Amino acid sequence: MGKFENKYILITGASKGIGFTLAENLDNLGAKLILHASTDAGMNKLTDSFANKGHLLFKADFSDPLSLEEAWQSQINQDIKLDGFVNCVGLRSRRPLTLLKPAHVMQILHANVASFIEMCRLICRKNGFNPGLSIITISSIAAHSGGPGVTAYAASKAATEAAVRCLAKELFKKEIRVNSLVCGQVNTSAYADLMETKSDATDTILERQYLGLGSTQNITNILLFLLGGESCFITGSAIPADGGYLS
Amino acid sequence: MTNEEKVALIEETLDIENGSLRPETELSSVAEFDSMAKLSLIVLCDENFNKKLTGEQIRAFVTVGDILEFLG
Ligand SMILES: NC(=O)c1ccc[n+]([C@@H]2O[C@H](COP(=O)([O-])OP(=O)(O)OC[C@H]3O[C@@H](n4cnc5c(N)ncnc54)[C@H](OP(=O)(O)O)[C@@H]3O)[C@@H](O)[C@H]2O)c1
Repeated sequence: MGKFENKYILITGASKGIGFTLAENLDNLGAKLILHASTDAGMNKLTDSFANKGHLLFKADFSDPLSLEEAWQSQINQDIKLDGFVNCVGLRSRRPLTLLKPAHVMQILHANVASFIEMCRLICRKNGFNPGLSIITISSIAAHSGGPGVTAYAASKAATEAAVRCLAKELFKKEIRVNSLVCGQVNTSAYADLMETKSDATDTILERQYLGLGSTQNITNILLFLLGGESCFITGSAIPADGGYLS
Repeated sequence: MTNEEKVALIEETLDIENGSLRPETELSSVAEFDSMAKLSLIVLCDENFNKKLTGEQIRAFVTVGDILEFLG
């Protein structure tokens, strides 16, 4: 029996990077998954990778939080009770203040903050979850250290961490735990894109992140711990998984 | 878009005085052309010209004219 046998776990942003590695791990551990992506390409990758495994798929665009309720209710059987929710959606934003127009800022805040809160609202309803539900959202060292050009992204991540602290205090009576995982730089396609657009060739992040670049498995190991009962005494936290960056 | 219009757009994006750049201006002599300005240029290329500009390509730019040529 796998550790997560018959546990229902929703992974939003499951088609790439951290979310995808988590999905592979949980699939091996016997979980029943609800796998989310926003594009056809993402959905196709999930269908191909997990064919005949009996997992459910959920397609929704987090840039439009107002569409999520209808998407969730029309695509997912409302009798399912969740044991875990890991939010791996996080739109990137790198642009100086001169180009930080409201439409862009709002898109980032909608996708990274409002949609996370909305998904929590949709699943934390009566009969939507089992006691012990563990919610984790992926934050970033940017929320704590900041940096030129990442105003919108860092603000969105800091806002999510604040939301997590509030939700933990509100939801513990329903036996729901809520945490954020503050990731350092992880070796994903997003990291490759970042390095490609860097104007200087050196990676200043890795000078501070002295354990080196993280792997999606490094992050997944901590997510598995936070999803499981061993972490039952941890809630409302922003837990660093940053290779030493913030120390 | 004419070259003059492109230069004006670059000046606006980099928040530089209008009319201060010419195609032959060397980027190394433009104090405002720092890492944030380079990031602005990437966003400009992406949003206004639908072109992906990499850090490596930026490092190869010597003059304003090189940017104009890239914008096409
Ligand atoms: N990678 C790092 O170094 C790093 C560091 C710190 C924090 N993080 C955080 O970790 C999380 C995962 O990042 P990642 O790099 O592993 O993966 P990622 O490349 O950011 O992709 C994650 C997922 O987001 C989905 N997505 C993209 N746009 C969306 C939208 N508008 N609505 C809904 N979903 C959308 C993608 O689905 P589609 O394929 O369908 O678009 C994909 O499954 C993010 O929150 C990120 O901010 C990452």
